[in-house]
Amino acid sequence: MANVRERMVRFIEGEGHRVDASPVDPGLGVSELLFRTRGQVFSVTTNENDAGLLSISTAYEIPEWARERAQNTEALERVRAQHDGIAFTLAHDGGLFVATLDEKADSMQDIMHVFWSHVARLRDAGQHAIEEIVDRTESKVAAEKFINSFMMRDR
Amino acid sequence: MNDPLKPIEVALEEEGLFFTRDDDDDAFRVAFKSEGDRYFVVSYRDDQTFVMLGSGWALPAGADAAEALEIANRLNVRKKFVKTALWQEESDVLFTVELCVGSSEEIRPHFGRLLNVLRDSAVEFFEALRDGSEP
Repeated sequence: MANVRERMVRFIEGEGHRVDASPVDPGLGVSELLFRTRGQVFSVTTNENDAGLLSISTAYEIPEWARERAQNTEALERVRAQHDGIAFTLAHDGGLFVATLDEKADSMQDIMHVFWSHVARLRDAGQHAIEEIVDRTESKVAAEKFINSFMMRDR
Repeated sequence: MNDPLKPIEVALEEEGLFFTRDDDDDAFRVAFKSEGDRYFVVSYRDDQTFVMLGSGWALPAGADAAEALEIANRLNVRKKFVKTALWQEESDVLFTVELCVGSSEEIRPHFGRLLNVLRDSAVEFFEALRDGSEP
């Protein structure tokens, strides 16, 4: 019986949110729970072998015009350095990135106590990353426009 | 029967939130939780163009009512949409968004924003009460 998963489902539902739960690897006791808050879908990974192990993730789509892999990798690295414990992964050919926070607590009770603050930390880090990616690209585009017009005048 | 809060139910479904209905002879009411905090939406049968979203909180024991009123007043000046008020002999604080609408369908696309501003107002109120900072 997936006890850890069910307890986490009951907790999130008790907080007011619908949860879609599915086993990822029944052999390892790993399950994924999906829920929405403030318009954003979050994924929670539970582990039946360790109730204190928790991973929360959320994905952000990168606007098509800003999908420059090398620059976005650098941008995510800069943002990661400012958000302790948050990891960023580019996915889908650079079309989105996933922000993940892994927690190792002594018990599920401890996890439930910090759950929403972890969600908030992920949300802040994700928003920061999107702003960094968009802002950087806009600056680059603006710089290119300036350089191009400058070069044309020179000719 | 016309149900003025049906679009609110749809907005809550879209947000992935559970809700309950508690209508009576006077009013239509929806109650729900988000991130563990409780909220309500109400509209009155004799005034269905009025819709109120809100959340009520108990003031911490020993809170200075005068200071709480001052913080509420500063929030009322600064915040869009939200009215902050002390009530029940100043032991509770109520955050409400009160709207006049042709239909609550008009609220639906803005529901997330209104919920956020209610949530932020409560956070700012209690932070200011705890730290003595400017909300």
